[in-house]
Amino acid sequence: MSAATIYDHQESWKGPIAASAILHGALFLGAVLTGMLGAGHGESWGGSTAGESAMNATLVSAAVPLPATNAEKENVLANESKGLAESTPAEKTPEPEAIPIPDKTTKLKPEKLPRTPTTEKTKTPPPPSNQVPFGQGGPVSGAYTMFKSTTGTGGMTFGPAGSFGSRYSWYVDTVRRKVSENWLKYEVDPSIGSASRVYLTFDIQRDGTPTNIQISQGSGVPSLDMSAKRALQRIDTFGPLPPDYAGSRVSVEFWFDYKK
Amino acid sequence: MFNRLIVALLLLSAVAVAQEDWIRTGTGLGVEKVRIAVPDFKPTSTEPANAELLRTFNETLFSDLNYAGIFDVVSKSFYPLQTPGFPQEINLDAWGSPPPSASMVAFGNLGKQGDSLQVQGFLFDVKNAASPQVLGKQYREPATTDNARLIAHRFANEIILRLGGGINGIAESKIVFISTRSGAKEVWMMDYDGAGQRQLTSLRSISLSPRLSPDGTRVAFTSFVRGTSDVSMYSLELNRMVTFPRFGGTNVSPAWSPDGKQLAFSSSMRGDPEIFISDANGTDTKRITAFKGSDVSPVFNPKTGSQIAFVSGRTGLPQIYIMEVDGTNLQRLTDTGYAVSPSWSPNGQFLTFAWRRNYGPGAPGGQDIYIMDIANRKWVQLTHGSGINDYPSWAPDGRHIVFESTRGGSTQIWSMLADGSQQRQLTAAGKNQQPNWSFR
Repeated sequence: MSAATIYDHQESWKGPIAASAILHGALFLGAVLTGMLGAGHGESWGGSTAGESAMNATLVSAAVPLPATNAEKENVLANESKGLAESTPAEKTPEPEAIPIPDKTTKLKPEKLPRTPTTEKTKTPPPPSNQVPFGQGGPVSGAYTMFKSTTGTGGMTFGPAGSFGSRYSWYVDTVRRKVSENWLKYEVDPSIGSASRVYLTFDIQRDGTPTNIQISQGSGVPSLDMSAKRALQRIDTFGPLPPDYAGSRVSVEFWFDYKK
Repeated sequence: MFNRLIVALLLLSAVAVAQEDWIRTGTGLGVEKVRIAVPDFKPTSTEPANAELLRTFNETLFSDLNYAGIFDVVSKSFYPLQTPGFPQEINLDAWGSPPPSASMVAFGNLGKQGDSLQVQGFLFDVKNAASPQVLGKQYREPATTDNARLIAHRFANEIILRLGGGINGIAESKIVFISTRSGAKEVWMMDYDGAGQRQLTSLRSISLSPRLSPDGTRVAFTSFVRGTSDVSMYSLELNRMVTFPRFGGTNVSPAWSPDGKQLAFSSSMRGDPEIFISDANGTDTKRITAFKGSDVSPVFNPKTGSQIAFVSGRTGLPQIYIMEVDGTNLQRLTDTGYAVSPSWSPNGQFLTFAWRRNYGPGAPGGQDIYIMDIANRKWVQLTHGSGINDYPSWAPDGRHIVFESTRGGSTQIWSMLADGSQQRQLTAAGKNQQPNWSFR
């Protein structure tokens, strides 16, 4: 049996391996030796062997005027302030309106001329200063009383004994206030909306007590008449009559206007 | 609520009828309150002490009139520059025309001459130029600050009497109350405006519910000085305690009858707390109520003296009842809640009391002062949402009510007009409770 003869040829490896080893060893030796021998040559920069001639740092003298550290200063030019000279956006000029197209449908109105009145309108005359509007008289004053009393019928005199209302209008005012304070409207029949006046007469004695209370003219509503009478009966005193008043009593006619 | 008043007023002296004056007036439109100006009084003396007296006088007079409830006092900034001190100096037009538009002016002068203080006061009707003077008064007292205040009170009372329809002013009335400022609950007394507070008793115990007698000479109150609660009596004339019998049991809340001859109180001398009436010196004791459940806080109707309002717990929570003085005609006034401390108005028409309308944990509303018309049981709430208010007591003029309130932190005494307006605090030191206004 014949094998491949090519494998039979044994070539010797020993010679090239030995040559390679020697060469590698020589290369290694060469590198080590150049490193050892070459280390001593030359000077290193800034090394300990460096002399005085090397670069020195010198302290800056304080005498040198340095610029002060820059404090936080606002930049005058570039800041957020709008400044005095505020710039405003330019006004937009409105575009001129287009010329309207004449419309044939609208009618031209003739301009109205101011008319002169043919007759002068009568102005409302100012209220006469000597009149008191109804119900707005306020506290009765002397003149008011006198004016009213002149409208009375004959047989009246205005002597010093008959001038109670004008001399002591404050007392009359007190009587009026006190009676109206004591008039309790809830005593009146709630179904009544309004009624005619109730007239009561009574006397005020020297010590201020009301006596002789009578309904001189009723309203037709019994509960209203009773409430008016009770208002008087509820009052103990109006206060003594004025000390400088000579009479012993004063007669009062008092009316009650009821309106819900 | 009333129609405004209209008045036309005629004065007719009908000779034929009688030799007397006639007034004709009526209800309708008109002003309710008198608009009054109170310029500062003019000094007539240059003594340095005069300035202090004048200041006290002016402040007191202005405050009295402002608080009277019947005036619309013109603010001082509206006054003319020239203030009158004497009748010939007054310019009626300046006072009656728009800036002040007063209808009345109270003015005068004050001077300290030697040791005496001399005051002249005038009240002028501005609208009545013919005879403007309504009042002219002259006072002379030793020159002290208290007297300056006293004269101002008296002059204010005169004005209120004239213009308020014969009801005396309350400027000289007193209020008794309980204060803790000296350490224990003692009876104290003060003027109606809170000035001049002074201690009456020094029992170093607990005193409660003081009531001034109608003549103002005695104070009846509840005291724990002997351990149990007894009705005790203090004399303002003798300035000391006077004897009052002990009944045993718990005796509380004495109240005077309007004639000052009887005393109603609540006593448990026979077991259940019931209302008793005795003489003013404690004799002749009679039991009025006989129901299970406690009956306390009796008060006489000051107008008639024939009715008693009281608090009873016979149905559970305390409610207000009224009855005749002999125990008949019992009526319950309040229907719900927790109602205590009744006090009659001087005209006998209204009751004021403290009421918790919704009682119970978490119930809305507080304890407030109410008034109720006895005739129709309609009530009006006077205080609203401000602390616990209790112990109302009516002033003798029927226009004011004093009460205690916890608004502002501590229990203090307040007063107000009987419509609930012008509430003002009278006391500040310590805790002050259970005020009672004198009968006059």
